Amino acid sequence: MSVVIRPAPEAAPPRWRPAAPPTARFALRRVGQALLVVVATFVLAFLLLHALPGDAIVARYASPELGLTPEQLEALRVAYGADQPWWVQLGLSAGGFLTGDLGTSLQSGAEVSTLIAASLPPTLALAGLGFALAAVLAVGIAAAATFAGTEWLRRAFRSLPPLFVSIPVFWIGIVLLQVVSFRLGLIPVINASPAEALVLPVVTIAIPIAAPLAQVLIRAIDDTLAEPFVIVARARGAGPAWLLGREVARNALLPTLTIAGVLFGELIAGAVVTETVFARSGLGRLTADAVATRDIPVLQAVVVISAVAFVVINLAVDLLAPAIDPRLRKEVRA
Amino acid sequence: MVHSTSPRRVGIAGALVAALALSACSASEASSPAAGGDGEPVVGGTLTYLEHQAYTSLYPPSAGFYPNGALVNNLTARLLHQDPETLELEPWIATALPEVNDDATEYAFDIRTDVTYSDGTPLTAENVVANIELFGTGDTDRALIVSEAINDFTAGEVVDEDTVRFTFSAPAPGFAQAVSTINSGLLADATLERDSEGFGPGNATEIIGAGPFVVESEEVGTSIRLAAREDYAWAPASAENQGRPYVDAVDIVIAPEDSVRIGALTSGQAHIARQVEPQHEAEVSAAGIPIVAAETNGVNNGLSFRFGHPLLEDIRVRQALIAGIDREAIVSSIFSEQYPLATSSLSQTALGYADQGDAYAFDPELANRLLDEAGWEPGADGIRVRDGERLHLVVNEALPQPRSRDVITLVAQQLREVGVELELFQGDQAAQTAASADVEQIQIYHSMVGRADFDVIKSQYSIENRSTLQNADADGEPIDAELEELLQRVASEPTVDGREEASAAIQAHLTEQAYVLPFFEEPQVYGVQPNVQGFRTESVGRPSLAAVWLED
Repeated sequence: MSVVIRPAPEAAPPRWRPAAPPTARFALRRVGQALLVVVATFVLAFLLLHALPGDAIVARYASPELGLTPEQLEALRVAYGADQPWWVQLGLSAGGFLTGDLGTSLQSGAEVSTLIAASLPPTLALAGLGFALAAVLAVGIAAAATFAGTEWLRRAFRSLPPLFVSIPVFWIGIVLLQVVSFRLGLIPVINASPAEALVLPVVTIAIPIAAPLAQVLIRAIDDTLAEPFVIVARARGAGPAWLLGREVARNALLPTLTIAGVLFGELIAGAVVTETVFARSGLGRLTADAVATRDIPVLQAVVVISAVAFVVINLAVDLLAPAIDPRLRKEVRA
Repeated sequence: MVHSTSPRRVGIAGALVAALALSACSASEASSPAAGGDGEPVVGGTLTYLEHQAYTSLYPPSAGFYPNGALVNNLTARLLHQDPETLELEPWIATALPEVNDDATEYAFDIRTDVTYSDGTPLTAENVVANIELFGTGDTDRALIVSEAINDFTAGEVVDEDTVRFTFSAPAPGFAQAVSTINSGLLADATLERDSEGFGPGNATEIIGAGPFVVESEEVGTSIRLAAREDYAWAPASAENQGRPYVDAVDIVIAPEDSVRIGALTSGQAHIARQVEPQHEAEVSAAGIPIVAAETNGVNNGLSFRFGHPLLEDIRVRQALIAGIDREAIVSSIFSEQYPLATSSLSQTALGYADQGDAYAFDPELANRLLDEAGWEPGADGIRVRDGERLHLVVNEALPQPRSRDVITLVAQQLREVGVELELFQGDQAAQTAASADVEQIQIYHSMVGRADFDVIKSQYSIENRSTLQNADADGEPIDAELEELLQRVASEPTVDGREEASAAIQAHLTEQAYVLPFFEEPQVYGVQPNVQGFRTESVGRPSLAAVWLED
C-alpha cells in the first residue's frame, strides 16, 4: 500500500485563464451579455436574410411554371406583408417574438411554433446522444493516447483527432450508409425503427465533436501529468488507472467542459447535414428547407433558438466552472 | 428488407437483367420489363417509393412539380384519361368524350353518378363545376393559381345531375386534354374550400380525391403513407387493374441525397426510386435493377436565347452560339441512352412535333465566321469584343433538370473556343427564380417543360406563360409579334390539323430565327426492382401506382 500525498490545490497554477468569480454581479453581467448576443443575432440574421436576392413570395410563387403575372405577385406580396419596408417587418417580427408569437411559415402556412415543436425532439435526441457518444469516444481516445502499451499505439491514437476533425460530416454519413447499411445490410435506412434510425446519424454527428474534445483532453492530461504532484504520486507507485481517475480527470475536466460549450455550435451545423443525408426530420432539415425557400419567420425562430441554446450552455459552463475546480473558488475568497 | 437477394447473386443476375432492361424498355413505354409480366397479380404488400424532394402543395394546378404530381396523380381521378403511349383520350369520370361545338368554345361532359370521394361525399355535377371553375380562374385571395393548362375559361354550369358544360371566351382546343392532366385532379367540396396553405405540407391527410389511393399519414418533409382505397371501382377502361390497387399501401420516403436513394434501392431497402441520375444508371443496372425511362412528351431540355437583349439581337450571334455548341459531345459524355439527342424544340413523341433536320449542327468555323461578320473581334484574352464591350452572356442553372451545371460547364468550354464568354448564374432556387425573368441578369435560359398537348409549346414560349424567350418589351408588347401570334394560334385553332400546322410553323420559326438550341429529350428516370410488376407512368412521366403488384 502506497500512501499518496494529496498536493494542495494551489500548487498547480492554472494554465488557462480561469472563469471569473461567480458573484451575483458576475452572473448578472453574464446574463446581460447573453441577452445582448441573442438580440444582436436576431437583428443580424434578419438583415442578412433580407439582403439575399429573392424572398419567400418569389421562391414560392414566381416560378415560371405557375405563370402568375407581376400584378398577382404584388397582390400576394401585400397579402403577406412582404411589401412593407424592412424596418417595419423587423419591428413586427421582434414584437411577435417578445409576445411569444413566432408567426407562420411563408412556405407552408403552418405555425412556426408547431414546426419547431415537431422538429425539436428528434434533433434533441440526435444531438444529445451524439454528444454523449462524442464524450465517451473522446475519453476513450485520450486515455488510450496516454496510457496505451506501446509508443506506436499511443501515437496512433494521438493522430485520430486531427483525422476526425478533417473529415466532412456528410462524407462520414455517406460512407457509414454505404458500408453499414447498403453493403453489409446491418441497419436499414428506409423504414427503420426509431432506435435503428438513430444509430448511424448519432455516430456521424459524434465523430467531428469527439475530435476537438479528445484533442483538448489529451493536451490537458499531458499538462497535468507533467505537474509535480503527479510526479510525486507516480514516484509513490500510483498506477495509470489510479492516476487517471483520481488526479488527472478532475484537472482535465475544466478545459474540456469549456470547449464542449463552444462545440454546441458544431452540433447544430452537424444536425443540418446529418438530417439531410439520413433523410431525418428535425431542426436541421427544417433549417435547410427554410433557407432554400427564404422562409424568414422559420429561420428567425431557428436562429433565435440556436442562439439562446448556445448562450445558455456557455453561461452554464462559466457558472459551473468554479463548482468543478476548487481553485477558482479559492480565488474568490482570497 | 424488401428484396433479400444476396449481393453476389444480384451481381450475376445484374448483367442479364440490365441487358434485358435496355433492349426491352423503349423510352416511351414505362413498364418494368424484367420479369416478362406473366403470372397473376398478387394483392397485398407495401410498396416503398423513394422520392427526391418533399412535396410543396397538393393543389392540382401546382402539380407540375414532380413530388406534387406523384401524389396528385394517385390521389385524384380526372374527367378524362390520356393513354401515356398513344396520347389518346378516353373517358374516366366522364362517361364519354365531351361534346364540343365547332369552334371549341363549349364543352359538355356526361359524368358518372356512382363515384364517391374518400370522405364519403358523392362526386356530383356541382362538384365537378366547382373544381374546374377554381382551376380555370384561380383565387388570388387564397393564393390559388390558375391552371396553366386551361386557357380563356369563362364559366361552368350544371346542365342536369349528370351533365356539365364549360364555356370559353376563345377557342380552347386544349381543354379536353387539360381535364385529363393531374392539374385538373378532382377534389371533394371540403378540400376545394382550402387556401394555398391548406394544400401545403402537413395537410396531406385532409386532401380528399377520388383516385385509387388516399393519404393515410404524413410526416412533414420525411415520408407519406398512401393506403389503397378498397372501394375504388372507376378506373378508365384501358387500365390493367379495374378494381382497388393491388398493393395495400405505398410508403413514399423522401431521400434528397442521390447516393442514399441509389444505395437504398440497390441494397433492396426500397422498390422504386425516382430520379436516377445518368451517372448512377450503371450502378443501378449492375445491381440487377431495371431502369425505366418515361417520356415527358413536351418541350425538350435546351437553351432559349433572349433576343430582346442587345447582345443577342443580331441573328448571326444566335446562329454562332448554336454552331459553336457540340450537343453530341455533351449528351454522349455526361448522359446515357435514356436521353435521346433532340431533333426539334419539341420531343419526337410530343403532339405537333416537326423534325428540324440539321438545324443544330456543330460547326465552330461557321460560328467564328458569323461572329467576325457581326463585328465581334477576338480580344487579348480570346473573348470577342465589339466597341469595347465583351461578348459575355449569363445563363441560369436549371436546378430541377438533370446535371444542368455540368451541361453549362461544357457549353461554356465549347463557346470559349469561338470567343464567347458564358457565365453560370450562381444561386439557389429562390435566387434563380428571382433573376429568371430579368434579361439584364439572365440572357440565356436553360429549361424544359412536359405536357402531352399541342399547347405545351405555348406554355414554354408565350409571354402569357413561362416566356422563356422573354419576348416582351417594357410595355408588355411582344418584340417578335409573329411568334406570339403563332403561339396563340396553336392554343386556339379548333381542329387538330390546324393546331398541328401552327405548332410546325412555330418550330420552323424558332429554327429560322435561331431562338433556341434543344439538347435532349428529357425523360423521368426510375429504378424499379425486378419483382415490382405493373409500374406505369402518366403522359408526363409521373408514377401511376394502382396497377403495381409485388411478385413474391
